[in-house]
Amino acid sequence: MKTVLLSTLLAVLSIFPSFAQEKATISGVVKSSEGEIIPDAYLFIDKTNFNAISDAKGNYELKVPAGKYLLVCTVLGFEREVAQVDVEAGTTLIYDFTLTEKDQVLDEVEITGKSIIQEVKESPYNVVAIDTKKLENSSKDLSQALERSSGVRIRRSGGQGSRTSVMLNGFTGRHVKIFMDGLPMQSYGSAFQINNIPVNLAERIEVYKGVVPIELGADALGGAINIITKKSANTYLDASYSYGSFNTHKTNINFGSTSKSGFTFNVNAFQNYSDNNYDVKTQLLEFTENADGSYSSRYSNEEQWFERFHDTYHNETVIAKVGFVKKPWADRFLIGATLAQEESDIQNANIMQIAYGGRATESHSVIPSLEYYKSDLFIKNLSLAVSANYSRVKQTNIDTMARQYNWAGDYRPKGSRGEGDYSMGEFRNNTGMFTANLKYKIGEKQQIVVNNLWSTFERKNSDPVANDQNSSDADFMKRSNTKNVLGISYDYQLTDKWNASLFGKNYHVVTTGPMDTTTVGNTPYYQQQNRRYSVNGFGLVTNYRLKNDLLLKMSFERSVRLPTSTELFGDEVLETGTTDLEAENSRNVNFNVTYAPSWGVAQKQSLYIDAGFIYRDTEDYIRRDVSQSNGLASYVNHGKVQNVGVDLEVRYFYKRSFAIGGTFTYQNMRDKVGNDQNGRPSLHYNDRMRNVPYLFGNGEMSYMKNNLFGKGDKLTVTYFLNYVHAFYRDWPSLGSKKIEIPEQLSHDMSVNYSMKRGKYNITLEANNFTDTILYDNYSLQKPGRSFSVKLRYFFSKSRS
Amino acid sequence: MTNFYKKLFSYGLMGALLISSFGCSDDDSDSVDPVDSDQDYTFFISASSEDSEYIVTADDLESGEVSIVGNGTELAMTGYSWIFNDDPSVAIGLVYAKGDPGIGLGYNYNDKRELSNIGQFQISSRFTSYGFFENYAITSVGGQTLVDDEGNTLVDGEGNPRQDGSVFNFIDVNTMSMETKSIPTFDVFHEGQQATFSGIVDRGDGTFLSGAVVSSPRDPDATGGSSTGEVVYPNECWVAAFDKDLNIVQKFHDDRLSYSSGRFRSQYYSQIAKDDDNNVYVFSGAYEETTTHPAGALRINNGANDFDDNYFFNIEALTDGYKFRRVWHITEDYFFLEIYNDVEPTSRGAASQYGIVKMEDQTFNWIGGDFPAYDQIDATGLPMAHDGKMYFPVTVDSEYPVVYVIDPATAKATAGITVQATGVSSVGILRK
Repeated sequence: MKTVLLSTLLAVLSIFPSFAQEKATISGVVKSSEGEIIPDAYLFIDKTNFNAISDAKGNYELKVPAGKYLLVCTVLGFEREVAQVDVEAGTTLIYDFTLTEKDQVLDEVEITGKSIIQEVKESPYNVVAIDTKKLENSSKDLSQALERSSGVRIRRSGGQGSRTSVMLNGFTGRHVKIFMDGLPMQSYGSAFQINNIPVNLAERIEVYKGVVPIELGADALGGAINIITKKSANTYLDASYSYGSFNTHKTNINFGSTSKSGFTFNVNAFQNYSDNNYDVKTQLLEFTENADGSYSSRYSNEEQWFERFHDTYHNETVIAKVGFVKKPWADRFLIGATLAQEESDIQNANIMQIAYGGRATESHSVIPSLEYYKSDLFIKNLSLAVSANYSRVKQTNIDTMARQYNWAGDYRPKGSRGEGDYSMGEFRNNTGMFTANLKYKIGEKQQIVVNNLWSTFERKNSDPVANDQNSSDADFMKRSNTKNVLGISYDYQLTDKWNASLFGKNYHVVTTGPMDTTTVGNTPYYQQQNRRYSVNGFGLVTNYRLKNDLLLKMSFERSVRLPTSTELFGDEVLETGTTDLEAENSRNVNFNVTYAPSWGVAQKQSLYIDAGFIYRDTEDYIRRDVSQSNGLASYVNHGKVQNVGVDLEVRYFYKRSFAIGGTFTYQNMRDKVGNDQNGRPSLHYNDRMRNVPYLFGNGEMSYMKNNLFGKGDKLTVTYFLNYVHAFYRDWPSLGSKKIEIPEQLSHDMSVNYSMKRGKYNITLEANNFTDTILYDNYSLQKPGRSFSVKLRYFFSKSRS
Repeated sequence: MTNFYKKLFSYGLMGALLISSFGCSDDDSDSVDPVDSDQDYTFFISASSEDSEYIVTADDLESGEVSIVGNGTELAMTGYSWIFNDDPSVAIGLVYAKGDPGIGLGYNYNDKRELSNIGQFQISSRFTSYGFFENYAITSVGGQTLVDDEGNTLVDGEGNPRQDGSVFNFIDVNTMSMETKSIPTFDVFHEGQQATFSGIVDRGDGTFLSGAVVSSPRDPDATGGSSTGEVVYPNECWVAAFDKDLNIVQKFHDDRLSYSSGRFRSQYYSQIAKDDDNNVYVFSGAYEETTTHPAGALRINNGANDFDDNYFFNIEALTDGYKFRRVWHITEDYFFLEIYNDVEPTSRGAASQYGIVKMEDQTFNWIGGDFPAYDQIDATGLPMAHDGKMYFPVTVDSEYPVVYVIDPATAKATAGITVQATGVSSVGILRK
């Protein structure tokens, strides 16, 4: 298949020979006011797609049609420069930039002007780029930053550190893959995930809806999220501490430096701690003492308020990287390691009513890593990026108490071990990943990219006290999975206004797990077996700039998701394996219109509108099927879901002092299965998907005032609103007394004061200040009103 | 107003309209309460979609249709086993999720003749058996690690945690208040052996009976598996009589059959039940591979202190060698058997053949009439005995579940009510 893909691409290449058109060249050198060469400066022609990045010697070159332009040069740590240029066809204009170093710090809220963020937004993909810079002074984590994107819903089961699931255009769980710098995060363990990583770690977050570039190599049916971490060539220190309601403490220290010789290091350490002792409303398991001293228990009929008493959460993480930049053999070479640990008390079961007093989980991750990047490798215009890591994750579930607790924090002796199942279960997951990306630019207009991600995963369970009949030998047998995702894309700039890219992906997976192969006798016999998959996907993305401020995009992908080890092999106790599962597949189509005009004196006012129309046609959904007669679950390819939706983002800016906007998402996601898996007419054909929020949005308003008490000071006041329409847990057609997840409307407010151009920052936040009872999942109440204060010191100095 | 603002305004208006129209497009159905009739009881059906469980009611099971579309009460959890107490008339839902406790439910008809939830209890230990005893619904599970009064784990001679505890939950059928009691089972039936109990039968004299699966303790070095270790006495049948404090007041022993329990993976199905004259029949499906006994039944006569030496029923001899897995009482001395599909079943083997035994006459008949062929049956629910007949929910391929009405005397089944749902787990009766 790989050869088929390659030859298809080559055929396409030959159809579109790069036709030469007479153009003008603008080139020059970018230097600091002190005469230092500045590499990696971003240069672009305002309101066009023409852009360039200065090389290691500070040189840049742009080829543009004849005309008058505004040429902008921007780089971190320097004031941005704009030049008016007028070029004629066939000529070369030399323009050198001399940038003034910023007074040690970054500008906090970069509202206008083209940045990498904007560049990502204008790529042909249906992508949202979240600028995390705006949130640096808040005490938010990555999942809270993600919430600001249209089409994305984050569902939490509780407070700090609680189980978090990302929903992207109705897809969730295994259908949405999360990456950090291009490597899948799912193998990093729960100690290092988006619900406990501070937003300061990220430079930006890219949310790819439905169509995923080959650089993110995974079988993501519904889209992918890529978290781009900060990479700075400066010497910097970013230290912050926040304290808030429920005894929540968060600390983050991030520092690094790059020497003249190119030696670089950075260390990022963070910590979260919370008692999570917010109040919840639920029924109480009442204990009554019998005459003989024993206890009886029964739930109260009425709901009451209780303070959570067993939900302490803490995690600690250190990420250290060391290496070289701008060497002849590597533009960037880093080795590093991430150490993360997490301890989490479990306060309640999946149904809030059931309280625990002793259950907990622990997780430890060790992730050594390597990164390498080289442009102009051997030949000009060929670049190679390689990254690899190996994660060892140990997860322990603890349930050893011989007690039964209630929400008042009282307990009675239980007589036997375990509040649920007596467990000291340990899961060890080891994952190795290696990704390589090769990019070759053919002339001005064409580019070929080849990306390959290889990963191998192994899981081993053990439980020294597992005695329950729920477990079997198969529970403790090895499960492994080796996956290779190869992607090839061909990018072609058809005209100055029209870009297109065609890509193909090949997924190859080998999965190993236990199968019950008993044919006679009643002692189960398990055997390790292999399953192999090789599946292809492909897609096309294109954008067209209709006017300077009006961009159209279209993208399509036939995406797939391969069955997991659990789906194929079950646990062979309560779940039986299904060995002939097909990969899930979906046809995803996006159409986007981006309109970004600015007007008024000195273009003081600007507007940003991004309207995305999505269509998803998903087949062969793998769903869990529980047998009525014996309670055994198995997995079947059954399900067809169609989703037609709209994502909208609208923002209005007035200078740098006022911004208002928001996002809105509506998805009409319907069950299209005519007959259920047993061949009966479905009882909920054309119903809205069960347990999926379908109408939600957020609003944001911020006001900024510069130099309030001193020069370089800035006050920012932000109001944030979050809305989710009510939805049913099961299919809407069914039942007359149904379970509904109620409407959620919450309001957050923050006030930030930055001094000395962002060197010293103090932020006060009030979340859910109307103290609304919030649920993302049935019965699992989220925190009420909370306050926090964050102090942050930031210092940055570019190498001189 | 500049042109731009005009545009902005109209777009904004469009957006608002869009939002409001989407907001209103939801399909909201009004709750439908079952039609009130003069009948002083109604049938309680637990029906499920693929993901949720609903309670629906019907006045008649012999014919007609009932659906979960726009009808029924959705429950918070799924996987309930419903058992029905006669006096007071209460439906009790038992549930346990893997690793988490379950929330048990009690339903009755209140004074206003409305179906109402009378209480909830928390089942914190798994259960593999259940039944009624006096004013209690009882669940039980074996293989638990017990602690002493000080909270210290009971350990064996080598210091390993013992896994011989049987935990019983006593749920008061009037209040839904639950009490948990437990007993160690090591050395109770044989030295060095432990037991898992299966089935609950109220003898009406302040004691209840339960079949015992006697086995060696599980190998502490084994990484997982059932609580039942090697069965070294596969040719013995033990039944224990408990008082309400879980004292074993009497042990019944016989070596004509193997233990009385139907096993399926982690489940221990009851094979013990009494007839209308309070004679207790102790069945044995001869599950254990090493037993030399057939699948059959013994009897403990009403009030007797021992097995009836004169009674022995070799059921396997009448079923062409097929063994049975589960047993339910219908009426008089008729019992309903769930029979394996293969003569030599495996632990995962399907059992979707059904038959009726009359114990005194020692006769057996396969279920006939409209009853579907064994290889068409996808799923079955728990049967209910009512008015001398058995009502049994069965789901076959391509069709909605149907409650079959079985006449024990003729062993003929007729198709009754169709339930528009994915599955039916239980049917029962609730008096108003």
